Amino acid sequence: MIKYRGYRGFTNRFQGVGPRYFWWVVVLVLIPVTAAAHNISGDNARFVEGLEGRAVIPYMYLGAKHMVTGYDHLLYLLGVVFFLLRVKDVVLYASLFTLGHSITLMGGVLLEWNVNAYFIDTIIGLSVAYKAFENMNGFKQVFGFQLNARVAVLIFGLFHGLGLATKLQDLSLSADSLVINMLSFNVGVEIGQAIALAGIVVVLGQWRKKNHFRRQAFAANTVLMSLGFMLAGYQFSAYLWA
Amino acid sequence: MNTNAPESVVLQTNKRKILTATLFAVVLAAALLIIFILPAEFNKDPLGVGEALGISGLSKPASVSAETVRKEEGTLREDSVSFQLLPFEFVEYKYQLNKGGSMLYSWTSTKIRAGDSRLVSFEFHGESDEVEGYVESYSLEEGDREAGTFIAPFKGIHGWFWANHGPEAVTVTLSTAGFYTETLEFRDGFVKKQVLK
Repeated sequence: MIKYRGYRGFTNRFQGVGPRYFWWVVVLVLIPVTAAAHNISGDNARFVEGLEGRAVIPYMYLGAKHMVTGYDHLLYLLGVVFFLLRVKDVVLYASLFTLGHSITLMGGVLLEWNVNAYFIDTIIGLSVAYKAFENMNGFKQVFGFQLNARVAVLIFGLFHGLGLATKLQDLSLSADSLVINMLSFNVGVEIGQAIALAGIVVVLGQWRKKNHFRRQAFAANTVLMSLGFMLAGYQFSAYLWA
Repeated sequence: MNTNAPESVVLQTNKRKILTATLFAVVLAAALLIIFILPAEFNKDPLGVGEALGISGLSKPASVSAETVRKEEGTLREDSVSFQLLPFEFVEYKYQLNKGGSMLYSWTSTKIRAGDSRLVSFEFHGESDEVEGYVESYSLEEGDREAGTFIAPFKGIHGWFWANHGPEAVTVTLSTAGFYTETLEFRDGFVKKQVLK
């Protein structure tokens, strides 16, 4: 039996802060913000493509924006930190994810890997479903074996990084400042990830204090898994027909 | 901080519950994909629900939805010909077009001597490649000019029959641009076929 030791004593601190469904309102308000289109949009793309040479801040901003508005990355991060109780672990898992996606983001761009963006995004969708299934303890219960969660987050980080690389490659970067611009994009991605994670962790922390969290957590991971399959189906359809 | 604290919450689940939830997740995802996402985003509508809901082709650009833009596979070709028709002579000139292939056309008929316009009898029509002997008429009247956009309703040869029923010689001049592959001229019992490069 698991106990919420890390949160002992804090349970009632936010009681009476506002309406009972305050956090649901926060989530619902954030959905349209995060559900923006996921490719680097036309105007942004034209802007950076028009730039000559180094453009640290624009690429950093684009990286952060891509992460904060990229629902595939956000859903995966939500799955990763869903049951993590300690900030230390959130940092550890986020760092493994960062390590994974930085390797393939930079490797993909520098070595000019030509991967199909839709195909990679299909795998990213499946990563969301995988994480939700893992959260349900599905691998242990159903298959009797689970890949270490930290290894899994690193491996899926590699795929998310490939997805990031394809987005950056779409921008037809100029060769002279490729490295500095790519690094700026990568730093922006991490900033965006930190911002998104901060929001996710705060909301989850509040949710975890509720008595009905256990029951809802299972349902939430079921929905998360379904969203992952939907994303994968959507991207695979795009791979076939777009 | 208590170092014995669990790294994470582990849900109390069992195999049956997990498999039910997974099945639910897959079915929900598949249903939403088939009912809404595929019809709206990719214009793929296996069950016809997207059509019924009016969301098929939702995300196509407006111009494409309104059929103001039509993509063509073939090569754009231009052609310009003229025929002299003595009284009671006739000629037929057609283009080989695939189904949906389009062309812009314009023709006029003028008197050879004075150069002003002169009526001819004409029929704009098509003959099917696939159905033996099937002919469809697009316009059948008397006139001295015609112009427009043509989209072939079926694969076959599409063009004009002109007949001079007047007392004076006329010149019919035709200009087209379109995605045809061959021209065929029928005159005096002969067919002149030209495959366009």
